[in-house]
Parts: sequence; C-alpha cells; structure tokens
Amino acid sequence: MKKLSVAAALAAALIAVSLSSGSSHREAPNIMLDPAADNTDTYAFTAPDAPDALTVVANWVPGGNPANGPNFFRFDDRARYYIHIDNTGDGKPDISYRYEFKSTFPSDSYRQGLPGVRSIDDPRLQEKQSYRIVREELEDGEVTRKRTIARDLPVAPSNAGPKTFPDYDQVANQAIRDVGDGKYFAGQRDDAFFIDLGAAFDNVNLRVPPGNLGGGTDTQADTSIQTITMQVPEADVTRDGEPVSGPDADNATVGVWAATERRKLEVTNGRFDNKRARGSWVQVSRLGNILVNELFIPASEKDQFNKTTPATDGERFKRFLLEPEFAKQINNLPEELGVSALDLKAPETDRDDLVDVFLTGIEGLNQIGDDPVAADTLKINMGVPPAQTPNRFGLIGGDRAGFPNGRRLADDATDIYVQLVGGFMKGNKIPAGDGVDQNDKPFLDRFPYQSSPSSGYDQAVGRRVEPPHAPTLPGNDPQVPIGPQVPTPRPPAGPQVP
Amino acid sequence: MGRRLASGRVLAVPAVVFVVALGAFTALGDTAQPASRGEVVAAASLAQKGQAQLQRARESADPANYARAEALLRRALDRDPKNLDATIGMGTLALARHDFREGLRYGKTARRLGRDLARPYTVLVDAQVELGNYQAARRSLQEMMDLRPNLASYARVSYFRELHGDLDGATEAMALAVSAGGQVPENVAYVQTLLGDLEATRGRSGAARRAYETALAQVAGYVPARVGLAELDGASGRLDEAIATYREIVDRLPLPGYVIALGEAELAAGRTASARETFALADVQLRLAAAQGDNIEPLQARFVADHGDPSRAVRLARQTWEAAPSVRSADAMGWALTRAGDPERGLAWARRSLKLGWQEPTVLYHAGMAARAAGERDEAISFLEAALERNPDFSPVRAPKARRALEELR
Repeated sequence: MKKLSVAAALAAALIAVSLSSGSSHREAPNIMLDPAADNTDTYAFTAPDAPDALTVVANWVPGGNPANGPNFFRFDDRARYYIHIDNTGDGKPDISYRYEFKSTFPSDSYRQGLPGVRSIDDPRLQEKQSYRIVREELEDGEVTRKRTIARDLPVAPSNAGPKTFPDYDQVANQAIRDVGDGKYFAGQRDDAFFIDLGAAFDNVNLRVPPGNLGGGTDTQADTSIQTITMQVPEADVTRDGEPVSGPDADNATVGVWAATERRKLEVTNGRFDNKRARGSWVQVSRLGNILVNELFIPASEKDQFNKTTPATDGERFKRFLLEPEFAKQINNLPEELGVSALDLKAPETDRDDLVDVFLTGIEGLNQIGDDPVAADTLKINMGVPPAQTPNRFGLIGGDRAGFPNGRRLADDATDIYVQLVGGFMKGNKIPAGDGVDQNDKPFLDRFPYQSSPSSGYDQAVGRRVEPPHAPTLPGNDPQVPIGPQVPTPRPPAGPQVP
Repeated sequence: MGRRLASGRVLAVPAVVFVVALGAFTALGDTAQPASRGEVVAAASLAQKGQAQLQRARESADPANYARAEALLRRALDRDPKNLDATIGMGTLALARHDFREGLRYGKTARRLGRDLARPYTVLVDAQVELGNYQAARRSLQEMMDLRPNLASYARVSYFRELHGDLDGATEAMALAVSAGGQVPENVAYVQTLLGDLEATRGRSGAARRAYETALAQVAGYVPARVGLAELDGASGRLDEAIATYREIVDRLPLPGYVIALGEAELAAGRTASARETFALADVQLRLAAAQGDNIEPLQARFVADHGDPSRAVRLARQTWEAAPSVRSADAMGWALTRAGDPERGLAWARRSLKLGWQEPTVLYHAGMAARAAGERDEAISFLEAALERNPDFSPVRAPKARRALEELR
C-alpha cells in the first residue's frame, strides 16, 4: 500500500474543515448572489413594427458567460417570474403576467444536447425547459382573477455552440410563440445592456474622461441573459381595456416592472406538515427603472428594496433621490481623475427632478393619472409614437420616445443616468458618460428584438472597445445613430457541422 | 436586483463590489466616529478580496488561503471597524476553524451593523446551531428566510430540519437550494452533494447516486461527491471500489473525516494491517491538532472511542462539548462514555443528542448500544431498529453490529 505522506497529513491537520457529511458542522455557502432570481434589466417600448402594442423585454441572470457549460443558465423551476403593470398610478400591480418554468433532464446523461440539434423538439436536445403563463388581474394589490393563458411553451436553449446547434437561430426562433393576440419568448439572448462596468464601478475610473469620447470597454459584450419578452395589444394593459388614442389619452401611460418570487419556508413546524411549512411567496428581486437599486439605494436598504412593492417607494426611498450620493461622487470626480479644472456642479440637494424622472413620472409626458404616487416603475406613454430617428439619450436628447418614457434597447442608460444625476433637467448639462455608446451586437428589428446569444464555443466576453470619436455634447448624439450598426469584427466562428 | 460584473467561473464577486466604488454607501447608519471616505472605500475593497479568498479556501482546502483571508479582513476592519462584509468574513473564518463562540460574536456584530440585511445571518445561524442554541437558531433562520429565500437560506433550513428528524422537509429544502442555484459552481455542487447525503441517509441510494453524479457534472472531480459515491459503494458491499476511491482522495486531500472513512472501509474489508496504518495517520492528525491548540471535531473523538483508548476519547469529547455544546458533541460524549465502560451516563448523553429528533442512523446506533450496555432492553431495541429502518446499510462496520445486537436482544 502506498504510504500516506506525513507531509500531507501535516497540511491536513492545519485545516479544521471537513467537507463530508458526518463532519462536525456544515459550511453552507455564504455567497448570497442569486443569478436565477436577479433582475438585470427591464425595457418597455412601442416597437416600430408593432405600434399598437406594448413590448416588454425583461432580463434575468446577469453577466452570463456563454462558455459556462455544463452549468448553462436557466430559470429556476421553483421560482415565479413576473412582469407587472400598474395602470392606475398607485404603485401596485393591476395586471400581472406570471411565468413558471419546468425542466426535464434525461436520467442518464449530463449533456445539454447531442450534436446536431435541429429543432426545439429535437430529442437530441436533452435538457429542456418549458413554461406556462398565468395572467392575473388585481385590485388594490389583491388578485381578483387569474387565467392560465398558455402552457408548455418551449424555452430557447442556451447556445452551446455550432456542433450542438448547427443553426442555432433556427432552433431559437421556434421559441417565439403567438398566444391570443400576443407574442411571447423566453430563453437565452444576447445581453442588450452595454456599459463599461469595470470603469463605472472602480470608483468611476473612466478610461477616457469625461466619458463622451468613446474609448470605453463594453464589459457586457458577448454576455448573455435569460429573457422573458412579451408583446401584447395596448388594450390588454390599459386601465379601461381600450386601445390608446394618442399621447394625451387618459389611459395612455402604464408603469412596468419585473420581479421574482421564491417560497419562504417555515423553518420547522413540529408536526412536519410540509405542505404548510412551505410558506408563502416572497419577492426577492424587482426592477423598474435603470440603476435605481444600484446607485440610489444604499447598501443597508437593498434587501428591503428587493422585497417591497413600488407603492411604498415614496415613504421608504424618496429621500435617497432627493439627496443622491451619486451627485456628490460626480462632483468629486474631477479631483479624483486629476482634472481639477473641471467643475461639474451637480446639484446635491432638492432633486425633485430625479423624483419626477424615476418615481412619479414627468408631467405632460408619462404620469399615470392626475395624482400618481412616487413608485419606481418604468412608465411608458403608449400614445407616443416610435421615433423616426431615435436618439440614444432619449428625452434629454430631444427624443420623447426614449427613456424615461419607457426604455428602448438602444437607449444609453448609463450616459443618460450620469447626465440626469449631473443635473441635466435643472440646466446643469455635463458631457459625462462611460465611453460606451452602443451594444456590441445590433438589435433585431422584429420580435424578440434582442440579438441571438453568442455561443459558448466562440465568444469574446467584455472585449469590445468603443471606437474613439469627437466629443458628444450633453444629451446630443448626432455621431452615433441608433439603428442597424456594423458590429466590431468578431473572432472567426468554429468549424461548422454540416 | 441588478447589475453584476461578469464573474470568473470559480470566484464570485460579492454584491458589495457594487457599493465599493461608491464609498459612502458602505457606511451603514451609525455615524459615531465614522471612518473617512477614503478609509471606507479602502476597507470595502479589502473586505471583498478577503471574501474571495474565503471562497478559494472552500474550493481548495489550502490553509494558506485562510491565512490570506484573515490578513485582508483584519486590514479591512482596521480601516473601517464597521465594514459589514469584513465582519461577516471574520465570522466565517472563525467558524471554519471551529471557534464557534468567536463566530457567534462576529455574527451578532454583523447583524447589528446590517439590520434588515440577510447576509449577516449566514454566520449567526451557523454559530447558534453549532453552539446548541437551537431556539435562537430557529428564530434567526426564520428571519433570514423571511428576508431572503435563496441557496444559502434554503440549505440552512434543510440542515436544521434534518437535525430535528424531518428528513422529508430537509430534502425538500435542499431541493429548493439546488433549484435556486448560485453564482459559483462549487456552491451548487455543495448543496447537490448534501442532497445526495440526505437521500443516502434515507436509504434511497439511486437518488443519492444521481445527486452525486450531478454534482460531479457541475464541478469535475468534486471531492465531497466522490466521497458520497464511495460511501454508497461501501454500503452496498463494493468495498474494494470504496477503498480505491478513498485512497485517491486521501492522497490529495487528507481531511480527518476522509482518512477515518478509509480506515473503516479497510477494516470492513478485513484489511486490518492497512486499516491500522490509516488509523495511525488519523491519530497523527489528532495529535498535531491538539499540539496546535486547534479545536478538534466530534468525529475525531468518536474515532478514538471506536478505535483507540476510550478514556482519551472521553477527554476529547469533553473538549468538543465545551467548544460546541451541540447534539453532535453530545453524541460524541455519549459514545465515548459508553465505550469507556459508563453506559448509564453514555445513555443520558445519547438521549440528549437525540432530543431534537435527529434520525442519523449512526447516532441512533450509538444510543441503542448504550441502552443495551446499560440494561435498557426496550429502549435499545427501539433505537437499533430505528437506525436500521432508516437505512439498513448505514455503515459497513456498524450495521452488521446493530443487527447482531438486535438478534441477541430479541
């Protein structure tokens, strides 16, 4: 028998940890990150090819590196995923679409799929997920009616690569489903979000200050998310069940947000009555407007933010928008970046303009009703037609069809946010941003609008650099139009399976 | 919930990184003598690095990672004593070193620093459970669950239910943990393996095997899952396979539990010479730990009760009880006393270990054997039958002994 080395034993003796069962204690994981439940972006817009419908793109599971097999990202079968609509302006859902998922795996294999999957029903696709949709109507936050409107819809699988999926789009497109007068899609897509996260969250360490000259690295390039994308007639979501006649119609604006719920277990009830001990559903994540949770809500409040409904945002969180920490940070930036001549003058108090943008809606544009509460919902006036020439700065670029009136995929959320907090609406226009102006992949001009995901086989996560360009004036972007764009050259694709 | 950095496959970037950059946000509430903004930011960055080292330590079991983690976390607290994640990190470290009282202190501080947040509870709950404060642990765990149902809280509920004998509920909770998944493959493999362990405890070897294999598909070569499969092999009489697997594992990662499992498999296979050598190694580990003043585990005290000098086992078990007065330590105390020839006290301790309703077959076996030696025939039959009913193959060495004892008692 091979002698067990004493040196190894010495090393082991220093370790008090034993990982097997029957050991002295559990070391359950402490990391609280929860990608399957995490909302990463919510978009709501009137699509040019569907002008009488509301389109909502809700993304979960952030930062998916496509080459993450065999742990491909999926929705949690035991969670509930929601898209909520507030059409009365009280911050509570009036209509909710609930999505529930179910996975099947073969008992004898751990491969997502065998080579050559050609369709979404292909038995070679071993790991499958399907979903059903329940549409709920609510009054004052309580469900009054609910109906399962679809069952057993297929989820578009994760794109492992060309050997597994010789024509991935062919398979993914089969996940686009018509249900009644609506369209639905769930599954992996390319993450529409574009941002230099490395710079933004390294104390706003801009690569090319002040961030309006390009030069940023899109850290989300090539990453994937799991999306639920839906498109329904306006009348399905308005307060009165009627279509919207124009931007001034009473029923024109609705508030949209996405959320996730999980079961809260009862730790033990002595009788081990496990059905009852399953407990009720608890919201663990929600997302209406861009960057509210990340940049307005302090660390000490985040778990509360995630658990609560937008209706209480006024009393709980308004003060963090009225005096935003981020404005102070903007003002500290020039000194930190060694450009002390620049004086940004972001107003640090009385930021009722931010409350308007993010919580109550802007009068004459996207308020719900006459007396809307302060609620973090993405408010879209469905009567405003899609822009002929969209501007990535949205409203502050003169484009009323963009953020904060809903949010389109190509709206530059980061730059808009920085300039808004910098004081754009109060007349203080600063030319700041993150140096990334567009997504690495062009968006589609048809449902489901987000591009196909990169495959695990050939991906280049976080490597797209925005080409340098002349300075963009605050809110004004003539140089980089939204629309079909030429993406940066990509690494060559791998060998194709015939 | 928001934006995440694209993380590496192995390391997760804790949520705190998103407020690291914003400095001011990491100051949580209390304003007496606040650290300067620069110190707060520096502390947050150090805390994040320290936590990453802790995750690496989980994955590698390399003690150097613990030392590095500690250095980073202490520096973080020097800069900003109110940094929540460094406080949680120090608590996690204390628990990993089996210093549960220290862990509890950090856990309580963390909860105070982070009211309304779920993550301080990871340390607080674990410390309370290991110290036998089960009522407090239940309250804390329910608070954690109410704040945040996710892998971390579901896994803890599972363990708590398991200690109370609710195996169905424990399995359900662990299945929720597995389904929820997490950012880090090792975390998912960990709970997947625990699910396998639960199925094995319930005697469901097919489900256990599937769970272990799924864990191995998550993280290739994941040792706890390989140990689980080896235990299934041992349970079904494939001792040669079990021994081969344990030996491979022990060559690379000789944790005490694995060494003892190897020795017992060798003993069950009749390879007494090998078993003796293996047990000698386990003994060396024990003595080294004692020499360093490390807290030893109850399973090490049980090992000495089973294969060494029982009165030494009683001393060691008492140490584990003093460090961590949990049902696990009570089981070690009871067995050591029984083996040392004091079955009356052994039985009293065994009853204590079962007071929550724990259904672990080996623990029931210890109680049964204590009762038998103490002349409590009915109680002995009841405990031994319970152990075998839970899982007739619960141990290649003990299950046959339990069966023989029952035959004699009946």
